[in-house]
Formats: sequence, C-alpha cells, structure tokens
Amino acid sequence: MNLLDKSRSIKNHDITASDNLESYLKTIKKKNPKINAFLEIKEDEAAQKAEKVDARIKKGEKVGKLAGLTIGIKSNINIEDFIISAASKTLENYVGSYNATVIKRIEAEDGIILGTTNMDEFAAGSSTETSYFGPADNPAAPGRIPGGSSGGSAAVIAAEMCDLSLGSDTGGSIRNPASHCGVMGFKSTYGVVSRQGLLDLAMSLEQIGPFARDAGGIALMLDSIAGYDPMECTTIKEIPNFHEITQNSQDVMKGMKLGVVKEFFDVSDNRIVNIIEESIDKMTDMGAEVVELNFKHLDLCIPTYYLINYVEFFSATRKYDGRKYGYRIEEVCGEEVLRRIHIGSYISQKEYSGKYYKKALQARSLIRREITGLLDGVDALISPTVPKLPHKLGESLNTMDMYAYDVLTVIANLAGIPAGSMKAGEVNGIPVGLQIQGKPLDDAKIMGMMAGLEEIQ
Amino acid sequence: MGGIFIKMKCGLEIHVQLETDSKLFCDCRTNYQDAPANSNICFVCLNQPGAKPYPPNEHAMNGAIKIALMLGCKIAEDETYFLRKHYDYPDLPSGYQRTSIPIGYEGNLNDVSIREVHIEEDPGQYKPDLGVVDFNRSGIPLIEIVTEPDMRSPEEARNFLRELIRVLEYSGSARGEGTMRADVNISLEGGKRAEIKNINSIKGAYKALKYEMVRQKNLIRRGVEIKQETRAFLESQMITVPMRLKEEADDYRYIPDPDLPPMLAEYEQIEVIREKMPEPPHIKTERFIQEYGIQKEYAKVMTSELALADAFEEIVKHVEPSFAAIWMRDELKRVLNYNKMSFDESGIKPADIVELLDLINDKKVTPKAAKKIIEKMPKNDASPLKIAEDMGLIGVSDEESVLKAVNQAIDENPQAVSDYHEGKKGAMNFLIGQVMRLTRGKADPGETSRFLKEALAK
Ligand SMILES: [Zn+2]
Repeated sequence: MNLLDKSRSIKNHDITASDNLESYLKTIKKKNPKINAFLEIKEDEAAQKAEKVDARIKKGEKVGKLAGLTIGIKSNINIEDFIISAASKTLENYVGSYNATVIKRIEAEDGIILGTTNMDEFAAGSSTETSYFGPADNPAAPGRIPGGSSGGSAAVIAAEMCDLSLGSDTGGSIRNPASHCGVMGFKSTYGVVSRQGLLDLAMSLEQIGPFARDAGGIALMLDSIAGYDPMECTTIKEIPNFHEITQNSQDVMKGMKLGVVKEFFDVSDNRIVNIIEESIDKMTDMGAEVVELNFKHLDLCIPTYYLINYVEFFSATRKYDGRKYGYRIEEVCGEEVLRRIHIGSYISQKEYSGKYYKKALQARSLIRREITGLLDGVDALISPTVPKLPHKLGESLNTMDMYAYDVLTVIANLAGIPAGSMKAGEVNGIPVGLQIQGKPLDDAKIMGMMAGLEEIQ
Repeated sequence: MGGIFIKMKCGLEIHVQLETDSKLFCDCRTNYQDAPANSNICFVCLNQPGAKPYPPNEHAMNGAIKIALMLGCKIAEDETYFLRKHYDYPDLPSGYQRTSIPIGYEGNLNDVSIREVHIEEDPGQYKPDLGVVDFNRSGIPLIEIVTEPDMRSPEEARNFLRELIRVLEYSGSARGEGTMRADVNISLEGGKRAEIKNINSIKGAYKALKYEMVRQKNLIRRGVEIKQETRAFLESQMITVPMRLKEEADDYRYIPDPDLPPMLAEYEQIEVIREKMPEPPHIKTERFIQEYGIQKEYAKVMTSELALADAFEEIVKHVEPSFAAIWMRDELKRVLNYNKMSFDESGIKPADIVELLDLINDKKVTPKAAKKIIEKMPKNDASPLKIAEDMGLIGVSDEESVLKAVNQAIDENPQAVSDYHEGKKGAMNFLIGQVMRLTRGKADPGETSRFLKEALAK
C-alpha cells in the first residue's frame, strides 16, 4: 500500500494509528539490533500519541496531513526530550532543549515521532561509519554501508521500520543514502525548509528533507514541513506547491527536456551508467526529450565543497567548548570531524583565508553560474546520484576515495537548487539511485517527474 | 631625552548598549540587570546546538543608523551583513560574536573623526570568582563607535567621550555611560601603540590614559622601547597592566555569518530616520548661539540635556532668550544639581518657567523671591504663582515700607551700625539681610543697599 493510501485508511479508521505503530515496533525489535538505524525510540510516548489520533478520528475530528504516520528523525534535529547527539560523544548527554521548526510542523500535522536515527558524526561523512554509536547496515544490501550521512534515516525506510523519516543534506547526505538503500530522498531549494533547530555542518549548504518509499510520501512530508519561517532568516517566502503532485503524473514527461551531462556519466561506474540510461530511455518513451550537455568545472566541485564545509563547520563547532555540553569536541570526536575542524581552523586564518576560503566562495559562484546556465535550456538534469556502489562495511577507504562518493551531489548544495534521488535499478542486488536536479523553486516539478517515473517502474 | 612635551595620539573604540525591548537576534527582554540571573534567555541567545538567529531587531538596526547619522557619518550604501568573530571565552555561548560590517563611516564629532559605527551582540557576564556565567546580557545589541587617533590628551579624550554620551542620550536609541565599555589606544611620539581594554566609564578612560602616558614617558625617558601590546585597566587601582596572552585573541577568523543573509538599508528608510532624528547636541549648541544670541557657555548648558534644550526653545517663544538662559543656567541648573535630577525628571514644565519669569518681569515678585520659588518647583504640581502665594512672596515692597524696614534694622542693630562705620565688611550685608527678613524678601536688594547707605550717612 502506498503512503497516501495508508494515510487515507488511517483517517477513515480502516487502519488505526495504534495498529500501524504496533506493527512498526515489532519490525524495529526484530531488525534494528542488527541494522542499528534507530538510536533512540520512545515507544510509550508514540503509543499515547497514536491513541489520541485514533480517538480524534473516531470522534470525527479533523486531523493533520501526517495523522498516525510514524516518523524517524535524524539525530541532528532538535526534538525536546530526545538525546540529540548528532552521533557524537561530544553530545551524548545533550537532551534536545527545544523543537526544531520541522518538528513543530510535523506535530502540528499529527505525525508521530518515533525516534532518532543513526548518522555520520555531526553529518561529516558519506557512510554512517563515523557514528559514535557504530555504523548502520544497509537493509537493501546487507553488509554494505547505507551511505550517509543520513544513513539511519534511509535505512529505517528501506527496512520498513517506519513510514517516513527526515535527514539533512549538506553535500548529498539525503540523496546519497537514499541511492544506496533504494529509497526516495529529496533536498529542496535552499531556503524552502527551515533549518531552525538543525545542528550545523555547513550552514550555507544544507537543507532538511524527507525519505520515503514512494513519491507520495515525499510530497506529503514536504507539504508539511516546507514554508517560510519567520524565526529562520534564510528561509524564503516563495514555496513550491507540493500538493496534488502525485494526482496526475501520467503525462508529466510529455515534452520535458532532460539535460544529460556527459561528465556526470564519465565519472560514474559503467554498471550504474547502464541503469540510468535505461531509465532515461523509459522517460523518452513517455515523451521526454534528451538534451546532451557539458559541465566544465566538475573537478572544482569537491574541493570547493569541502573548503566551504570545513570553514563553516569549524565555526559551528566552537560552541562545543566543553563548558556546556560536557566534552570539548576536539577531545572526543572521531578522525573525520577532527580533520574538518583542523583544516577549517587553518584555512580561515587571516593569512590564508584569501588563498583558500575566498577562492572557494569564488569557485562556488562559478559552479552556480554554470549549473544554472545548463538548467536554463532544460527542465531538469538526469544523472546517477552516486558515481559508485556502496563499499562493504569494514572496508577502509582513504579520504579522497570517500569524498569521491559526493561528486554528483554537492553541486545542488553549492548552487542551492532542488534535487531528488530515487531507485532506478540494481547491480547484483545493490540499489542504484537516479538523481533529478532542477532550477531553483522547481521542487514540485522534480517531484512530479519522480512520481511519473515511479509509475512505470 | 627628558622632553616633557612628548606628543600623544589617542583613539577610542566605544561600546554602548542600544535601547531596545528585545535582544538583537531573539525575543528575550533586555532588562538584564533587573531580572534574576539566567532568566532572560532562550535557545537562540544561549546558542544551543542547532539554534539560528531570528532576523536582526529592526529597532536596533534603525537606532544604529540614527546614531551614525547624528555623528555625521555616511551610511553604507552596499549590503551590510554580520560577521562571526571567533574567540574562546566562557561568556560567549557560540564561540563567536556576531558583529556587523560598518553601518556608518567617516563621521565627525568635535573635530574627532569617526572611522566607523557598527552593531554587535553583547556576550553574557562571566563571574570568574564564582565560575558562573549569567547569559541575561547575551545577545543585547551594542553599538560600537570607532574613532581615528585624533585626540591629543587625556582631557581631549574625556571631552570627546562626554560629548559622545550626550549624543547617544539625545538619540534616545542608546543606553548611557552605565553600559559603556571602551578600548583606548594610545601612542606617544617615538613609541608603538598600546591598547587598553576593560574601561567602563569616562573617568576610567581619563585615568587610564593619564596613567599610561606617565608610564610610557618614563619608559621613553629611560630609553626603553615601547612595544605594541594590549593592556588591561584595573579600575580599582586606576592602573594598567599587561594582558595575559590568552585573553588576547590572535586571529578572530572572521567569516560572514551564513545564517544571516546580507541586508540593504533602503534609501527611503535612511531618509525617514534622518528626518526624524534629533538634532545632535553639538550642532544644537551652535544653532542656539546663532539663533538666540546667547553665549556659548549658556548654549552648552541649555543643550546638556535634550529635554532642557526643548524647554528652552519653548520658553523663548515667550521670554527674551538671554534673560531665560541666565535664569535657567544659574538658578534652574543649581536647583536641579542640588536635587541630583535631570530636567526631565524634575517634572518642571516650560510653562512653569515662563510663568516664573513673567512674575519677575511684571514685578510681582523680586528676583530674590523668585529664587526661593524655583527651589520649590521640582516634583511640584503647584504653579509658580501658587507657590509664591503660599510662601507669601507676592508683591515687590513699596519704597515706604522698605524705608521703614531700613530704619527698624538700624535701630535694632547698633552693633552692626558701629561695625559699618568702622569699615567692617560684613556689616552692610548683615543689615541688608535684616531688611530682607523684615520685608519677607520683597525688597529689592540694590534699592535696599542704597537706602541703607543713605540712612547710615546721616
Ligand atoms: Zn533569547
């Protein structure tokens, strides 16, 4: 049953919210110990909320869009009374002291927050292996990384441990694990979803966004959480209309111009390329038109992304000085977090910032101009989400090989454009994700295309 | 060597809190001194993990623009934005302080060039002895005014600061000297620049500069090279000491705050502020001299307080300006100073002053009686006329009753009379006082003196 049907069934009292929750709790008990995707679950609180929703539905009261649906939240988004550790020892004792705007909005729509999910420490990673609480497994390809940094939020969806989840995407941290776990994930235009309450990795790049097993779920969650937030200065007033996206997706591909960037395929594993090309063929069968394009600055993207990431992360972590949350971050964090802090500290020094940070900001403008230029002539860009397949848990990669996972996802963050990932196929049972990127505020159009492609798969 | 007249140069960086109800980036109240410790706080001003600033407080931004305009600054036409200034200290919950790029620049006050004016957030208050931090103050908007090193003596710096505090008070958008924190830089001819931190009052700035000047002169005299350094002022001992290196951040690693998009001050908005802003006191002083023909010292006193200046302008619609200025400077200010209150606090209305001065002009009371009346005017609902009636001060004595009192005074005080004839100085004043007593102050002192001299000459 797809998510929108389930939502209707709960509202019609065909299924109760309590039964829905109960069945997920059973799955969690069975699967989570091995997958390690949920970090903390509040069963009793969730059960009470589910009962309340059921009672209101029974009385014929109006309930919210997410009524009775169970939701996992990445553990870097503030929820009152949950441990919000960002999977770091630094914050192992930090209890969320307020609700992030997205949490308030989920609660206002009667969604049931079940627990927090595993992730790379402070979202600094692409595999969920750097979590202080140990790595999460990939439910779709057991024994392999689920991707990251929102690996737990992708895994809880892939393993059917809840209906929907939230992650955060700084350089692909939603789309990357969605791709590896074979689920849908979406990063909106910068400023569409409030970051108020999201623990910072790189503030100018990141957005909170949803994971779901189908396009309806993504649309429902975005419709609930997106929107201007007077308490967060980088949110924007124009909001894409996510409503009714999935109502009429039959003809969505007709006349669509799909940009296919040669370099995005050149850097990707052939087996992945083949699968994405098959999907593009299906889209042209539905009436879309392919436009071949070139992107000159692909080799600039990873260095630019990481330099900005390091500097903003260094700044963001200054509050973890050991005075308020128990530990000084540098004394307890993992290797990757420490690397980013040290390099960030180094390159933001007065004498070097011109050489590195300012150059990175210039390169960012260049990349943004080039990608929006390409998007001018087409409706969307189609590519693999990740250029390679997820490695096996325990396999050790050097830093540059690790960063290479991100080359196709960081562009959307550098340019602030919307991008979604959905499953296109499998290589030896390992999911392969297809990424659709669009113009700023074309979030709904991309969602529509994802829904259309979903129907023919 | 041994030159006594070594030239000095001094520049100031002055921080004063802006007057707003809520903090710069959240809705918390700013009455931090009245509130119990750590009660005016929220996740934003505590910078809890994940917290983002709300949009900058508009009152604070407009207040800063107003003050910059009053200091004759140009207003930044490009986008302004906030920087993160990183340093590690217990009072700074995020590990960085948000500070704007200049909002105004190239201003001038009393021949001291203003380099720039910008806005910052106040940190919390760290109490090292208790090891605790009170974050009530964290996030309160500050204005920082940076001067060029244009002051040549501690006295000049003190005068500048007094004038600046007056401008800030006039603006109605800043808190007073009580919230002032200043860094002072000083260099003597032939030496490097020293920066002195931890200065919290005008007097402190003056004392720190005095001390530092003597210290540096002595070093120069002994042939010791003055190195560039940061020193702290110890208010309790009125001396400066080298700052521990730890407190001296080497590199703040400024970056634009990614959570706060750049802002553009609209030309129209600036013009609205410019039209509404109070005339700065130093400009008002000049205008009073020109427009009302009063002396500079009088004009300065009239403009020492905005409410007083406004009252003066109201009063001179009805009374001759130099007459009003004399009475307001000599008598009104005397009474206000005695009561330790501002004109605003006294509750005296311009109409009350007009009424009092009219009573004098119309010879309904003597100047001496008027001085008694004005003493009763602060925090008094009764009009000057009513006060005069209650005190029995109405009426200037006629010649006959003054003469009668003169004769009575002479008859009753033979000792004073003989003292007078022996040329003892106090005797005349004593006799005048007796006449005043007998006439209940209604006699004119000049007239009384003349009558007394004539009567004693007989
Ligand atoms: Zn606050």
